[in-house]
Amino acid sequence: MAGTDQLSAVFSALADPTRRGILAELATRDATVTELTAPLSISMPAVSRHLKVLERAELISRSRSGKWRASRLEAAPLREAAVWIERYRRFWDSSLSRLDAHLAAVQAAARATDRMAGDPKELA
Amino acid sequence: MKTETPQIVITRVCDAPRELVYRAFTDPDHLASWWGPIGNTIPRDEMEFDVRPGGFQRWTEVFAAQPELRVHIHVDLTDVVDGELLEGVFHVSGRLPEGIEPHATRLRVEFYDEADGRTRLEIRQWFPEHLAHHAEEGWRQAFTKLDALIIER
Repeated sequence: MAGTDQLSAVFSALADPTRRGILAELATRDATVTELTAPLSISMPAVSRHLKVLERAELISRSRSGKWRASRLEAAPLREAAVWIERYRRFWDSSLSRLDAHLAAVQAAARATDRMAGDPKELA
Repeated sequence: MKTETPQIVITRVCDAPRELVYRAFTDPDHLASWWGPIGNTIPRDEMEFDVRPGGFQRWTEVFAAQPELRVHIHVDLTDVVDGELLEGVFHVSGRLPEGIEPHATRLRVEFYDEADGRTRLEIRQWFPEHLAHHAEEGWRQAFTKLDALIIER
């Protein structure tokens, strides 16, 4: 069982959506700070700061080989759980945005059909 | 199981009447046009829907950019109230993206009327067994706390 301090470090590490995103990325492969920064809209120093927080919480470890320092996800139930949650949150985010667009399109099409049906009367 | 705290809770208001939003989840032609991330396709001839308590929803997702993937979704519906509620066990299998194991997760979607002809969706989702299994009492409290943090955002 992890100590209270360790658990607090884990919670504050996982509370941030960017850090959960980084964990989800690392679930598929080890990655350098450059690789992790590429898909994000924040700077490399900011990503480095997030990595430090994750490392302190022992959710990741960082190796140094030459000048490339790769981050690796450490096995822990909470980490696995956080990655699972993050994946599904991303899934729902993108699906529900598409749902909004779909609902708008269906209703616009229905209104257009109504207008067409109404046209003869409007013209009369 | 049902009474346990869900790990994911999403509330979202859609600008459409409840009957239409419910149909978007239960009519295959509707679902195929919005479900999943951008870039996926749901072949219509591989969709099988029998929406009722004890029924099912089955479909396959394919991805033009990753032809090696084939994701099978089988939902065993445990609870259905027309226009109001869908609950079931959501099974994910097939040739999945790297890092994703076949799993089953309990999923509950509730539909509520909101002002001005809009609809509030409440989506709840529970951990698959292999994750829930890890949850000894200490971790269980941890998950609940983690949950609260995520929902607050």
